[in-house]
Amino acid sequence: MGFDLGFFVQQFLTGLATASTLFLLAVGLSLIFGALGIVNFAHGSFYMLGAYLLFWVVRGNPEGLWWGMAVVAAIGLVLGALVERIFLRPVYPRPEHHQILLTYALLLVIEDGVKILFGSAYKSLGPPSALSMPVWILGAPFPAYYLVQILLAAAVAMLLWLLLKRTRVGLWIRAVTQDREMLEALGVPVPRLLTGVFALGIALAALGGAATLPMQTVSPGVAVEAVISAFIVVVVGGLGSIWGSLLGAFLIGEIQAFGVMIWPEFSIAFVYLLMAVVLLVRPFGLLGRPPAVRT
Amino acid sequence: MKRFFLFMLGLLGLALAAEPIKIGALYILSGNFANYGQASKEGASLAAEEINAAGGLLGRPIELIFVDHGKPDQAVREAKRLILEEKVDFLFGIDSSSVSLAVAPVANEYKVPLIVTHAATPRLTEMCLPYVFRTSNNARMDSWAAAAFAAKKPYKRWANIGPDYEFGRVSWEDFITRLRELKPDVEVVSEQWPKFGSSDYSSYITALMRARPEAVFSSLWGGDFVTFAKQAIPYGFFKSIKFYVNPTGGALQALEPLGKNAPEGLLVGTRYWFLYPKTEKNQAFVKKYYEKYGHYPSYNAGEAYSGLWMLAAAIKKAGSTEPDAVKAAFEADGGLKFESIEGTKWMRPADHQVFEDLVWGYTKLTPDYPFAILEPIIVVPAKDTIYPTKCAK
Repeated sequence: MGFDLGFFVQQFLTGLATASTLFLLAVGLSLIFGALGIVNFAHGSFYMLGAYLLFWVVRGNPEGLWWGMAVVAAIGLVLGALVERIFLRPVYPRPEHHQILLTYALLLVIEDGVKILFGSAYKSLGPPSALSMPVWILGAPFPAYYLVQILLAAAVAMLLWLLLKRTRVGLWIRAVTQDREMLEALGVPVPRLLTGVFALGIALAALGGAATLPMQTVSPGVAVEAVISAFIVVVVGGLGSIWGSLLGAFLIGEIQAFGVMIWPEFSIAFVYLLMAVVLLVRPFGLLGRPPAVRT
Repeated sequence: MKRFFLFMLGLLGLALAAEPIKIGALYILSGNFANYGQASKEGASLAAEEINAAGGLLGRPIELIFVDHGKPDQAVREAKRLILEEKVDFLFGIDSSSVSLAVAPVANEYKVPLIVTHAATPRLTEMCLPYVFRTSNNARMDSWAAAAFAAKKPYKRWANIGPDYEFGRVSWEDFITRLRELKPDVEVVSEQWPKFGSSDYSSYITALMRARPEAVFSSLWGGDFVTFAKQAIPYGFFKSIKFYVNPTGGALQALEPLGKNAPEGLLVGTRYWFLYPKTEKNQAFVKKYYEKYGHYPSYNAGEAYSGLWMLAAAIKKAGSTEPDAVKAAFEADGGLKFESIEGTKWMRPADHQVFEDLVWGYTKLTPDYPFAILEPIIVVPAKDTIYPTKCAK
């Protein structure tokens, strides 16, 4: 088989679709760690919850996807804010393992919660009928819905960039990762800022989870798998770095897509290989910063 | 009046004396596949209710003790607890192949007969354990049936996509070996092994399509099959190939979530299908099950239901719950032949493997059901699924 541009583009886009999902999942984890210094083990649980909530709000009607995703993101925002205010704020001054225990407990609670609310059987929702057909790109079929997912991730990345680089709040978010006390001394409402960042991160996870439902299924086990994937992305890209999440997601998506071509039986191993190499060469991730020395 | 009173007292005494027959039922009741275990549990519970309503067995009621079998090490602990503490007379059920392989030697060692209703690895009944029985067909029979269908088709370029673990590997190996025997000129153009429980099949789908197979064998099951199909449809995968065959694709756990999005014309198998056979017995079961649980019985619900009734038949024939008597009842007269809702189940005495007609069919959407059903149904007669055994008898 010679070089086939259509196929190459198809596989590249397939990788991008995977990367889009991974980016929406991981960027919130990274954002939260950057600003709050908390490793959120329950991040995948909110991603899973997003998919369940979508299934629930649209009542099995695929055409309700658009407003459904908006509703889910809004619920994520509120839920994130509540969780931060009620559970996280009291543990900021405590040792790190308390924070880890807390988010891990959240993971367990959410998993059992969805079992009670939705049962243990997997739930599925098809794509809206307009997007259930392939689009043809250079003679190769590609799922129309994946294009939507790619555009969604690109839009989120753009908006985050605008937020962080072009707004005062963005400046604060960048500053709070450096020196929380100084920011407080300058009169910035840091507690409200942290609530906002956590809520945003959770809303992105919920949106990301909801966006996968038309092409996947959701079950209680999704949470743990998702959080593992999210950790791989941030380990490769750099925890706390938004561009790192983007780069990590992109690399992993494309490695999966093309790994299948090179060595199908071991395509999953390539991703872990990448992670191992990154850990050896740049332990703080490709775009991560070495941990600052606290004085 | 006095006599009547004494008579009633006597009856009461009898009832008190009737110790229940205890059956430890191991199913997967937590985690991602809990919906499978739940269906099995429902099927077995219904059978137990019916048996007890009809006066129990040998004048004794049966009591099912359901336990979540989890992973093999947990299952072995639970099996030992059921045997030693609960003092069960039988072990029953098991959804996972690896769990069945771990529990079988334990049951056998303690001489507590184990009746497997779901786990399908052929290795279970190749262990030739005297107190282990399987009342449903196994994965080899499914793979061989698929190969028999495949051999009748003119397609030569074959590919596989299956979950990367014991069941997926064994199913493909059995299938392609058998197909090559029946049709030596087949060629394998691609083998894809996504991780079991994967959420993203896209790159495997495009890689498979690039190899341009005419026909594809697949042992993806449950949620894996649903996710795979949802991603394969918008790639035009099912239209790009001429033939798709999947031995477990007929499970309601796969067809129900897909709903009206299910691709049509796939050849799929299922160990039990709620619309077959169209006998009074089966229709009565489906009706009762639907009224009780609010959904149709899946293949493993049907197998659990039939399995418990088949065990009941063996106990009745033995006139006892003694392990050796029940074993003899299963084995005697050329093996127990039991008329189940699915049709005749024949227990082969040598390896304790049941042989029965297999239900296959092409997926089709109809206005009658909110999911795809099998139409037409193709039945593979039990006699065509019999493979040799090394177990001595």
